[in-house]
Amino acid sequence: MSNISKAFGGSVALDSVSLELKPGTVHALMGENGAGKSTLMKILAGVHQPDSGEIRKNGEKLVIPRPKDALDLGISTVFQELSLLSNLSIAENMFLGREPITLFGTIDYAVMEQQTIEALQELGLTLDPSTLVSQLSIAERQFVEIAHGIKADAAVFILDEPTAALNAADVAVLNKHIARLRDAGKAIVYISHRMDEIFENCDTVTVLKDGQLVGTRPLADMTPDSLIAMMVGRELAHLFPERSTEVGEAVLDVKDFKLEAGSQPFSLKLCRGEILALAGLEGQGQQKFLRSLIGQFVPAGGVALIKGQSLKLPVAPSAGVRQLQALGVGYVPEDRKEEGLFLGLSISHNITIGLHSAHSALSFAKDYLKNITDTMASMNVKAAGITAPVHSLSGGNQQKILLGRYLAADVDVLFIEEPTRGVDIGAKSEIYKLLRSFAEGGGAVLVLSRETIELIGLCDRIYVVHDNTIVSEMRAEEATEHKILDAALSA
Amino acid sequence: MNSGQKIADSDKTVRSKVRNMFTGQQSRQGMWLLPLLGFIVLAVVLSVQTQQFFSAENLFNLVAQAMPLIIAAIGQMFVILLGGLDLSVGSVISFTTAILALEGPGFILIPAVFLLAGLIGFTNGIVVTRFNVHPIIATLSMQYILLGITRMLRPVSGGTVPDIVISAVAGSFLGVPLPVFWGLFVILVAWKILHGSRYGLHLFAIGGGIAAGTTDAAHNFGIADKRNIILAYMACSCFAALAGVFLAGRIVSGDPNVGLGFEIDAITAVAIGGAQLSGGVGSLHGTVIGAMVMALLANGMNLANISPFIQTAIKGAILVFVVAFQSRKRMGL
Repeated sequence: MSNISKAFGGSVALDSVSLELKPGTVHALMGENGAGKSTLMKILAGVHQPDSGEIRKNGEKLVIPRPKDALDLGISTVFQELSLLSNLSIAENMFLGREPITLFGTIDYAVMEQQTIEALQELGLTLDPSTLVSQLSIAERQFVEIAHGIKADAAVFILDEPTAALNAADVAVLNKHIARLRDAGKAIVYISHRMDEIFENCDTVTVLKDGQLVGTRPLADMTPDSLIAMMVGRELAHLFPERSTEVGEAVLDVKDFKLEAGSQPFSLKLCRGEILALAGLEGQGQQKFLRSLIGQFVPAGGVALIKGQSLKLPVAPSAGVRQLQALGVGYVPEDRKEEGLFLGLSISHNITIGLHSAHSALSFAKDYLKNITDTMASMNVKAAGITAPVHSLSGGNQQKILLGRYLAADVDVLFIEEPTRGVDIGAKSEIYKLLRSFAEGGGAVLVLSRETIELIGLCDRIYVVHDNTIVSEMRAEEATEHKILDAALSA
Repeated sequence: MNSGQKIADSDKTVRSKVRNMFTGQQSRQGMWLLPLLGFIVLAVVLSVQTQQFFSAENLFNLVAQAMPLIIAAIGQMFVILLGGLDLSVGSVISFTTAILALEGPGFILIPAVFLLAGLIGFTNGIVVTRFNVHPIIATLSMQYILLGITRMLRPVSGGTVPDIVISAVAGSFLGVPLPVFWGLFVILVAWKILHGSRYGLHLFAIGGGIAAGTTDAAHNFGIADKRNIILAYMACSCFAALAGVFLAGRIVSGDPNVGLGFEIDAITAVAIGGAQLSGGVGSLHGTVIGAMVMALLANGMNLANISPFIQTAIKGAILVFVVAFQSRKRMGL
């Protein structure tokens, strides 16, 4: 791809960006959110058309008018938003739009399933091709999309944040598949915000910033620090803010909590002024614990005190979040798009909805203009104005709006799942600072995250969760990724 | 894993397989086995309760009577698979009988009926796909437009339909009424389209995308989604017209009110048959079963001398009951 430019309305998304992909390499594409990575890849996938510039494959000029043409031209994309149809089977998805037919004009399922099995086998998968996609896990769906590209004999694979929703075991399998594709001579574009993955999988990195090319380097010459410096344009001395030392009284006190009938009971304490982490491998019960406090999971037993008030367990799902809010506890869900924000509504609505919910439904709604502008200013939200719909913001700004809702509602305890999922480094750092100053102001924060580095850097204390119970507790300054993994696995 | 555990595991999978068969949760065909059981139970109850029910004559009559509903419901299912609804089905049926009663030769009137139905469906499809009008609004308007035209053509029932229509519906072959054969033929054709062709799979694909909120998903696979949606509305109207031809043959005349309520009956039949109104899930056999259940209920209520007004109320209640208790697990995430 050379000299690609693209503008949406007045804003320039890409300004004369060039990218060269070589067979048999994994090419990382990095940059903060809104840097133009996704736009560049969507052009390659035929979703958008470039305003200028050209795409060549083996010297031949390509025009990719529609997404389906991209696959015909040997370009396969696994987008963040998965594109498989969940009510069709794996084989049907693989052949959709190109189904082979029998003499009678019916769809030739035998041929489809045979070829699907072969494509899946290339990835070392043994899935039944007649399984409906709705029965597959997120990881399996991504593997099916990759198999889709293999079946079409694609030469270029684009993986746009493929690990965003995967757990550690699935990431390992995915990495294996990527290596296999690379060894088969495919060119792979890998977009991710996670440094460890980039260094583990990729050979070359191209960095974009504000729609412009910063540079392309072999990864062997880079270190995580120099890569971050390239992305943000400065050395990132303090990604994480300083830790505090003083803690106050306990605001969450959990005793003899049993998640499942057969699991070991555990206790934990969250105090004012501290940021507490629940770490561990994915799906070991961290989320179940948080969700049992808001009523989305029924624990087997135990006691939970919030600010001295005992929470009746199991919590009724209809009242869970409201009950917490009345106690001054904000719950920030994992998936801001599905569970947190009202994407079609304006920034102001999204922020004030927490304030409104404290009043009776028939009282006059105030506009809370001051709260909104204060929140936006303190969070450093970049947006066209308070009436801008939230879906028009970048991921980082969306996350800030979500946090802002709870801060504006004057809560002093925050339960947060994935505080920086799909957020660029600049915004991450700002969110960490916000959380830290929230804790220093007498608040308390409980954080779940898939990114262990984030937990170590951000938090004061870490509980390691494994098999539905807490197996270890450590101070964050003493913790390392290795120690946490060790604690989880040796339990 | 020891063998005892293995057995327990396989026990579990067998049990979950059986459960899935009934709830249709892991199938694109939806929950059709349960309505089939309901149908059998209803049939058994009716044959125990009333002597005249279980005779070949009554059964064939029942099928012949149910045929227009079966056909209209099959048409309705095309649209429901796409997450749409066609409320103009009843009006198309009345309109068709009115056209057929125009006292012209059959070889002109019968093709004309289907051409007009195709045009009606085409208009519905264009309004829905190109002008982004909600299917309920688009087809509700069409319902009224056709109602007006039909009443203009034939304010009260009357006229005679071509002989060929009457003899095709009234006759019998080997003691079996002709509508049974016609019905089987229609079902075969519909099966080929829905479950045995690329077009059918694409309908499921488009509907699945719509139900999951990713309306572009099928389009991104290179499927001509708008054209396929328009074709589905055309199919729906043409099946409705066929149902109209059947009814015209039975009543021998044109009637502006004969199709009244057919759209809700058809939608109910499709819903009973396990199709999800959000789109992407359903099956032809389910729909046929659903229509037969409706016909049995009507037959049973008639035999039990229940007032037609109460029957109407019961039908309305059935629709909301069925949809409310459907296992509407959203497909996808």
